[in-house]
Amino acid sequence: MKILVIEDEPSLREIMQAFLEKERYVAETAATYGDAVQKIADYDYDCILLDIMLPDGNGLALLKELKNMRKADNVIIISAKDSIEDKVSGLELGADDYLAKPFHLAELNARIRSVVRRKSQDGEAIVSLGNVRLDTGKFAVYVQEEAIEVKRKEYDILYYFITRPGHLVDKAILAEAVWGDHIDQTDNFDFIYAQIKNLRKTLKEAGADIEIKAVYGFGYKMVVEQ
Amino acid sequence: MKLLYRITSRISLALLVLFAVWGTVFYYIMVDEINDETDDALEDYSEYIITRALAGEKLPDRDSGTNNSYHIKEVPAEYAASNPGVQYIDEMVYIHAKKETEPARTLKTIFRDSNDRYFELNVSIPTFERKDLKTTILYWIIILYVTLLLAIIAVNAWVLRRSMRPLYVLLEWLDKLTLDKNIPPLDNETDTTEFRKLNEAIERSAQRNAEMYEQQSLFIGHASHELQTPVAVCQNRLEMLANDPGLTEKQLEEILKTRQTLEHIAKLNKTLLLLTKIENRQFPDGTDIDVNALLKKLSSDFAEAYGHLGIKFSMEEKAPLHIRMNEALASVLFGNLLKNAYTHNLHGGNVGVLVTSKSVTVSNTASEGALNPDYIFRRFYQGRKKDNSAGLGLSLVESVCRLYNMEAVYSFEGGLHHFEIRFPS
Repeated sequence: MKILVIEDEPSLREIMQAFLEKERYVAETAATYGDAVQKIADYDYDCILLDIMLPDGNGLALLKELKNMRKADNVIIISAKDSIEDKVSGLELGADDYLAKPFHLAELNARIRSVVRRKSQDGEAIVSLGNVRLDTGKFAVYVQEEAIEVKRKEYDILYYFITRPGHLVDKAILAEAVWGDHIDQTDNFDFIYAQIKNLRKTLKEAGADIEIKAVYGFGYKMVVEQ
Repeated sequence: MKLLYRITSRISLALLVLFAVWGTVFYYIMVDEINDETDDALEDYSEYIITRALAGEKLPDRDSGTNNSYHIKEVPAEYAASNPGVQYIDEMVYIHAKKETEPARTLKTIFRDSNDRYFELNVSIPTFERKDLKTTILYWIIILYVTLLLAIIAVNAWVLRRSMRPLYVLLEWLDKLTLDKNIPPLDNETDTTEFRKLNEAIERSAQRNAEMYEQQSLFIGHASHELQTPVAVCQNRLEMLANDPGLTEKQLEEILKTRQTLEHIAKLNKTLLLLTKIENRQFPDGTDIDVNALLKKLSSDFAEAYGHLGIKFSMEEKAPLHIRMNEALASVLFGNLLKNAYTHNLHGGNVGVLVTSKSVTVSNTASEGALNPDYIFRRFYQGRKKDNSAGLGLSLVESVCRLYNMEAVYSFEGGLHHFEIRFPS
């Protein structure tokens, strides 16, 4: 899969490229608006990561350019502004997602996968890892094609892990993602532990080959058993 | 007390004393003048009678139609020598015309005729007329005193009110002034130099304050904004590093700790940006929010997350409450209130929520005494230092309230902190 990173900050551009290559994408970069237009005109990308604040132009204009070229590349806007207007106008101009700085690379990966999946599977909302499959439209979980029963929060946790396989997930960030922005400063994460314990048990009993592993008390990582 | 009333009451008080002194002095001068006039009249009368008596002409009738009376008697030379020639006395005199005794002013004159005989002439004018006059004068002075006083107070009040109109216009304008809004033009034409200067000075100062406030907001906004990218770079580098399988457990632990601190910086920055955005009104218009449902959803999340503290939660709904506001800001508002109630609580304490048709109150057991209501809504103010907490939660609450004209009120009662949000009707 080929991805174009449009970002003017060299350090961030470099790390994004390194990360994407590690995730086995082909990553190209552009540092300026002019560069980006050139690349978009010459090549097709599966996904474009677009910083809308560029030194020589607004990233939103690039979206219009893309439309004029009748290209259907997926675009994820990356912005330090996190402003609703930018989000709304970006999505209206045909962007597929919006990610505010600072973001986690694992989160970026999850967004890229989700955007690409949406387009390639034509809206079919299925994510899978190992022998576990999630139907995000019906909030249903299948292990070896067998439906299993999970609670709402357990489903949210499972979805979060399945879309970030192999990545270390911080407990605080997981709590924020599943329970909401407000649950980010608690000094005791027993409530997450309880949910994960249940989920692990459910998955194991159903014979799933994926597992949520604890990492040194800092967080968890989802791995596929070999 | 209003300036108008203060000035009027002070002037009235001063005038009251001044007029009282003036009235008294005036009255006594008048009375003195009347006595003087009476004595002059007596003197003239006595001279007239003496001249007539000495010339041997006919003396006037005793009953001359006036109340004046006189009588002449011969006195021995020793009496004349031992008594003063002219003497004024107040005494009771029988008045023939009225046939009764009345108080009167009498002039005693002793004179000598060509035969060296001494006579004493007593001329009297009854004083009841004079008393009437004095009473009338007293009445009029009092009437004048009161009327003048009232007139002066009224004129004074009217003049003051008229002259101070620019001051009241200015005060009204100041009342409407808020820092985060544009400054309305000050329409306050006046010829009074002092008021014109005051207008200019205050308008200038308001403008400067607004500019400084805006600059400060912009600065915070820009600073937080500029920090986003470097924070993202650091976070992402650490994330990459943490996924390196060659790391030792110790190294990974250090990386993760650094990442958590960085996470805290990112959060702080995000909150500051959110505050700036709220203050710059960068949130789209709201939808209808079911406050009861939102509070229930949030509190169930909090109950789960803070379950280890054993806090008892109770919610009382007196009425369903719907408000129109931005959904994200509604959860910022109530989420921060609830979080505040849970984090600044005791093990096994209580959190209570009360919803009425006009307000939401969140109460919690206090870990310490009352907080200072002047400071709690300020940024970075913390009653007691808490790890991971920046002290921005209540600032957010206050900012959202200000945006929607709600009122956030803190009170401490029965060992509980109460935070009440009052909605405009």
